[in-house]
Amino acid sequence: MFWRGIRILTLSDIAKYPFLPEAAEEVRRLEFKIEHILEPDYESILSRAERRIIEALTTSPPEVKYDPLKYRDDVEILSFPVAVVLVSALANEYVKRRFALAEARRAYNLLRAEDEEKIIEVAKRFGWRIKASNEKVGHERFNFSIHFTDYLRNASSFHEKEWKLVNRPLAKGEVYLFKQEVARLLQEEIKRYIEAKIDPKIRLMLPEKLLERVEMLKGQYAERIKDTGFTEEDLSSSGVESNAFPPCIKELYEAAQSGRHIPHVGRFALTSFLLRIGMDPNVVVDLFRKFADFNERMTRYQIEHIAGQRGSGTRYLPPKCDTLQTHGLCPGVDDLCRKVKHPLTYYRRKMRSLSVKKAGGA
Amino acid sequence: MPQIDTLSFIREKFSEFYSRYADKIEPPKSIESREFGFTLFKENVMVRHKGFLRVEDLREFIKRNVPSNAYYSTAYYSTPEAKMDEKGWLGSDLFFDIDADHLPTECKKEHDSWECKKCGFKGKGKAPAKCPNCGSEGFEEKAWPCETCLETARSEAMKLIDMLLCDFGFSLGEVKCSFSGHRGYHIQVENDDFLKMDSAARKEIVDYVTGTGVDAVFHGLEEIREGRAKIIVGPGLGDAGWRGRAARGTYEFLLTATAEDLRKLGLKTSVINEIIENREAIIESWRSHGPWNIVKGLGLGEWRKIVQRGIELQSAKIDTVVTVDIHRLIRLPGSLHGKTGLLKIPFPASRIEEFDPLKEAIAFKGGEVKLYVEEAPMFRLGDEVFGPFEKQTATLPLSPAILLLCKGAAKVIE
Repeated sequence: MFWRGIRILTLSDIAKYPFLPEAAEEVRRLEFKIEHILEPDYESILSRAERRIIEALTTSPPEVKYDPLKYRDDVEILSFPVAVVLVSALANEYVKRRFALAEARRAYNLLRAEDEEKIIEVAKRFGWRIKASNEKVGHERFNFSIHFTDYLRNASSFHEKEWKLVNRPLAKGEVYLFKQEVARLLQEEIKRYIEAKIDPKIRLMLPEKLLERVEMLKGQYAERIKDTGFTEEDLSSSGVESNAFPPCIKELYEAAQSGRHIPHVGRFALTSFLLRIGMDPNVVVDLFRKFADFNERMTRYQIEHIAGQRGSGTRYLPPKCDTLQTHGLCPGVDDLCRKVKHPLTYYRRKMRSLSVKKAGGA
Repeated sequence: MPQIDTLSFIREKFSEFYSRYADKIEPPKSIESREFGFTLFKENVMVRHKGFLRVEDLREFIKRNVPSNAYYSTAYYSTPEAKMDEKGWLGSDLFFDIDADHLPTECKKEHDSWECKKCGFKGKGKAPAKCPNCGSEGFEEKAWPCETCLETARSEAMKLIDMLLCDFGFSLGEVKCSFSGHRGYHIQVENDDFLKMDSAARKEIVDYVTGTGVDAVFHGLEEIREGRAKIIVGPGLGDAGWRGRAARGTYEFLLTATAEDLRKLGLKTSVINEIIENREAIIESWRSHGPWNIVKGLGLGEWRKIVQRGIELQSAKIDTVVTVDIHRLIRLPGSLHGKTGLLKIPFPASRIEEFDPLKEAIAFKGGEVKLYVEEAPMFRLGDEVFGPFEKQTATLPLSPAILLLCKGAAKVIE
């Protein structure tokens, strides 16, 4: 059955999923080199590559379109690595994530419509241990089983209850899934894979003319290319407002103030939270003075470490809500908690609503 | 009566032990990639970032330095001796710690004690937030490795092992068990599949074994229509994964639940009475895969609460922080525990039910030591029972003597 392994993915499959190793083979077979991209023969490929990025930036939710009537298979296959090169050259974290997500969502929507065999082939390219299944659990029949490590690698960032491993049928190391769920997990795998392919260093190897096209693209979509992440200003500029603390932090803060015992994870959560919202490290040190085992030198060292003033310079973020739950630090949720996944997001939103109220009252 | 310095005495005995039995120290897999750490008797600090290329070097180091505790990293590093940020993390074993410290056992009120560092006020059980006498917050706490606590830890370990084998599909050979040398069990899985797994993925495994976030509605508890009637169905006792665990936990709970147990779940008195009166019928309908709602007032909401209690019974209470931490140092198998003088001793997972920690972890054989014992509960070591002691002299074999000395409950007299 040797031929099946080779033939099962056709040229049009590779055009659908241009991140597969077979696509790279196809690029080699066509003797395509990035240096040639500015030659007139390749204009259709370069412009499709640019389109891929533009689609990623301008659609919501982001998704690169698959339109076999508009784009030939070889254009679809060759334009993908070119787009990766262009995104690398753009050297912007937001564009990188957005592009990877848009390509991965396209793959998800295409995979959902595939038969079991094809999905298994794609998953195997990522080293998944996946099998077609016909397992009936309760009155539901699952199409696939995958190894729990493949599941966790991709599902552990999901927040919905139904994606928690504990709410899944798990037997002998296999997680049972429906087709659409497998496609959704593959989307994560593909997204990470594409993100890892994007390397800003590529910029140095590109011809000047191509960099000019990249700059043009950047200029045209400047307003859509933004920075992400928690920014310093919006959290730390307005002063520490304990009324906006989420319940978990409130409880830890009160425990610290009265010198009640707090486990290590709790101290870390509290410290990293307070530093992030702009509390002065000296004030944080003072907060821990009431503890029976207080040791100024040690506490200062640890706080400076969390603040990124020591060691690797990493400024630590407080743990996410579900991590706090795991360690028994979530005292129960309020209405706002239900809408957020991170104590800092809670704080930021609460601050916003507090300041709106204040402004309204004045 | 001149008193011999307790620490020197313990160190001397540890030294004698290691000079004879250092070969019992079991090197972790890929010793060259592990970080080692030690606490020493005199200086109360951790010496860490140590690395050894060969097990002989590790054993030689322990013989020469006689640490009070010896640890190694669950992580593999490219340069284990480098600073934390420069070690180069390669992966970590999957590790679980079950310790009676984290389990709510009643007997702690009997055998655990505390003493205020400031005024010397004493009490039983876990230390309070503040000293009732002087209001200070620093305590010297003493915890005993008692049989009840160890049994509780064992039953948690058994639940965990069952999940690792049945749900996660590991083989008995991959699941390594040890007695920690104090009040619990270490369970480690050596399998290359998840070496690289990050903390987020390990957290999901922690949530799985502790049943955190499990909801019975994802495990078959639901209301369905059957013709005109609405019936409630639920998971079956023989189902795999949490489905079956939730069912078995609920079954276990309902077999013996008292009115008080049910009240704690927030059920109404009328429902509680219905359940207790019809206990047999409910369980029988269930066994034959019949509907769950055969008594009045027992709807989906009530069942959810009951099943939640069943889930708690089935969950394995591990120390959640340890498993998620991919840089953790853990006690070295075959080394002595500085708080007891007992060994951290590995044993096959298949022996978990019969393993006797208070016998098999004994390091010191024979001997005779004359002690003045301040206070100690009755305890067993091997086949002998000792104590209780209160402000008295006693002549004891070496192993119970070392235990009392390590616990700071006694002094050597000559």
